[in-house]
Amino acid sequence: MSHLLKNKNLKELAKIYDWVSMCTHCGNCKYGYEYGPTANFAAMLCVQGDKFNFDSYRGSRGKVSLARSLLHNRIGWSDKVAHVLFTCTSCGACQQMCETDIKPWILRMFETLRYEAWKQNVAIPENIKAWSSTIGTLYNPYKEPHEKRLDWLPSDLRYSMPSKAEYIYFAGCTASYRRKQLARATVSLLQKLKVDFTVVEDEWCCASPLLRTGQYDLAAKFVEHNKALPEKYGASAFITTCSGCYRTLGRDYTMDAPEGYADKYGKMTGVKVLHTTHLLEEMLKKGEIEFTGSFNKKVTYHDPCHLGRHAEVYETPRNVLKAVPGLQLVEMYRNRKFSFCCGAGGGVRGGFADYSLETAGKRVKEAEATGAELVTSACPFCYTNLADAIELNKSPLKMEDIVEIIEPIVRRK
Amino acid sequence: MARGNNEILANLEQIVGPEYVSNEEADLQPYTWDMTWAEPRMPDYVVMPKTVTEIQRVVRLANHRKIPVIPYCNGTNIGGLCVPEEGGIIMDLKKMDRILKIDPETCYAVIEPGVSHAAFSAALKATNPQWKGEEFSKGFEFGWGVHPPSASVLAMAINHGIGHLNGRIGINSQLMSSMEVVLPTGEVAKIGSCAYSDSWHSFLPLPRMDGLFTGWLGTTGIVTKLGVWIFPIRPYKDVLTIAAASAEDITKYMVRWRHYSLCDEVTAVSWWLAQIPIVFPYSPKPADAPEFFSYTVISGWSEEELAYKRKMWKEVVEKERAKGTKLYDFEYPPEAKKGRTELPSRIVGSTKNYSKSCGGGIAWPGTFAPCKSWPILYEKWKEIYIRHGLSPATRFTDYQGAHYGMLRCMTPFNKRDPASVQAARDAMVECVRAGLPEGMLPYKPPVEYQNELNAVADAGYLYLMAKIKDMLDPNNIMNPGKLGIR
Repeated sequence: MSHLLKNKNLKELAKIYDWVSMCTHCGNCKYGYEYGPTANFAAMLCVQGDKFNFDSYRGSRGKVSLARSLLHNRIGWSDKVAHVLFTCTSCGACQQMCETDIKPWILRMFETLRYEAWKQNVAIPENIKAWSSTIGTLYNPYKEPHEKRLDWLPSDLRYSMPSKAEYIYFAGCTASYRRKQLARATVSLLQKLKVDFTVVEDEWCCASPLLRTGQYDLAAKFVEHNKALPEKYGASAFITTCSGCYRTLGRDYTMDAPEGYADKYGKMTGVKVLHTTHLLEEMLKKGEIEFTGSFNKKVTYHDPCHLGRHAEVYETPRNVLKAVPGLQLVEMYRNRKFSFCCGAGGGVRGGFADYSLETAGKRVKEAEATGAELVTSACPFCYTNLADAIELNKSPLKMEDIVEIIEPIVRRK
Repeated sequence: MARGNNEILANLEQIVGPEYVSNEEADLQPYTWDMTWAEPRMPDYVVMPKTVTEIQRVVRLANHRKIPVIPYCNGTNIGGLCVPEEGGIIMDLKKMDRILKIDPETCYAVIEPGVSHAAFSAALKATNPQWKGEEFSKGFEFGWGVHPPSASVLAMAINHGIGHLNGRIGINSQLMSSMEVVLPTGEVAKIGSCAYSDSWHSFLPLPRMDGLFTGWLGTTGIVTKLGVWIFPIRPYKDVLTIAAASAEDITKYMVRWRHYSLCDEVTAVSWWLAQIPIVFPYSPKPADAPEFFSYTVISGWSEEELAYKRKMWKEVVEKERAKGTKLYDFEYPPEAKKGRTELPSRIVGSTKNYSKSCGGGIAWPGTFAPCKSWPILYEKWKEIYIRHGLSPATRFTDYQGAHYGMLRCMTPFNKRDPASVQAARDAMVECVRAGLPEGMLPYKPPVEYQNELNAVADAGYLYLMAKIKDMLDPNNIMNPGKLGIR
């Protein structure tokens, strides 16, 4: 009898064995599909399966099977196991397709598997190990000094930010250190819209890279620290332009398992978490935004996995884009819940840069096929990967975040 | 951890390229098991060929080294067919996923083994130049079953899978029209009209050599291309429903209705199968609930045609009622209706059913049987299932005008509970044993069913089967252990 829980050393994984064992091995997860009166969609959505071929890499079935094989003591840990686990971008496409009761637990199970992997003598990607070794003291995965976190902010603003405000603009590590123009554009946008906000010097990494790569112990102090910020600054909400931060603050900090990690770190209560596009959509609906110019370009929107499939925010960014005068929005074949990941998530950009960029290249080709001049998104991390792939592939496309499109041409009514 | 030996691994790498072969347990483990009770068995290698030539070379190597080869597309069958009984090479054919031709005039398509139902259906629905712009231009369809979108069309067809057109035009193996096969010894053979030209429209009037590779569970060769008939989608559809007091009553209605050959499908499910989730473990149905619920799908080219079929169906129901057959009206849930008319679907409701048992096991005694034996076998199966603590979640489906039909019993079980697995396996094997004298034959049979079949088979039939197998596969490398004859 080979379906019994025999390996009790994998304690964290064994805790969710009830859910892991609910996978029927049916294979719904391996392919994107929908048919109905208005739908005729079929495409490969699993980034990892698309690249690495074997069933071990394809959809959740391969990794659920891996979890069971480990728990049943049918296989042991190896570098190959680590490769299967850490080449998944956690895009959630398999979870989207799953119809069994394991569905809400799939991403949590991947992260739990990674948690267990850290305790084994297996080949965790070197670059993940490298940033993990310093994130505890630098509070960002880019190995940059914490003191420079707000260097993106013009000095006149840096020292004039209010000590109390309704919103805390949570820039996140990527915008703070690598895509500073997005953070600057967001602040300028919030100012133009006369939003009561502040930017805080003691923002730490939201812990997304830690949670997504299964580093539960290290994540604890980050969650604890950031959760305390609203009270410290008298804020009632976080607002962020980063989809990764939005997913983490909005779900991991506030929801119990399997959607979030409140079961581990306690629940953040009384604090709203908004993506910038939420605020824009709401103000547009209320008629509080006036466009001062137009954006006469054909644009396609890439759904960030953390905003889309993880948080089911699909229409908000589109509604914002549709409101922009002159902007012609065209869709890629794979969109919304059937989007194709940019290839950066789940620690993959850091761990396997070449594969990550190859994936982004596939997405760029798909964007090109729409005839768009510009690809936009709502996440600095997707921005980074797609922009790099555009450059690498000498694509004629341009990349801009939604805030970059909106900011120059709006004012508060 | 790696398996096999490095020399063979190096040979395989030379053939398909290093990125398309693995002997690492982490890569091999998803190929060790499936939905059924089959005990996981580890292969030694997995290869992903991209061309027929690569398949030929792998097969020749396997012959030389006497290594089993197990053809595999997505592993979604419910018969343990791809579980490697004796280890060896899993030949994962997913990379061969081209739709090579769609001929809308002759109504056939040519596909490779890796073509999924999702991809094939999307391509067919987008094809219908004949009626482009007209109301009829809804594309083409094949026999869509209820399965994961990733499931292989080719694998399903050559293993006698069923589809939604089985009442009108037969099961999916009856829709095959030509094939290309790599023989176990490495030669390539074309069978049917494609052996003479590039037209893949028919096996007839040639000798039916496709039979050497159909229903053999991948033990006689690797089908690398398949021609299949496709059908224009009829724009008008409806689902008609009726319930019955007993298996005998529902069978009388179904057989009479099917003799008119007016529907695409007629199916009945027992009360236990109609519940979501399937009742597990067994508990009795309410005394006043019908024993069976039936739906039939009708289609047509006009509302008038549909109205005529509805009228005929009502007449059948009334005539049966007049004879004393206990039939009851009932409302079909909209979601269920959608699932019958918008195909192929994902295995939505049913997957949830199995999953609820918290152990993820599902199997069935899935059989082809003469329709008149349904009520007899149902009563036998019901007794067996209840004795094993399982619900008789039974389905009858007619194939092609009441000549034969499907009888099966969906059986969820808890893989984490050895007693649950044993009860399910025992019940299912006992059902097969009970059914064989009534003309029932299991399809996509797990090894346990094959043993039951062989125990009562005509000796000459088994002799011929073994002779054919030996002739085609002298080293018994193709999916060994599945037929129970070698």
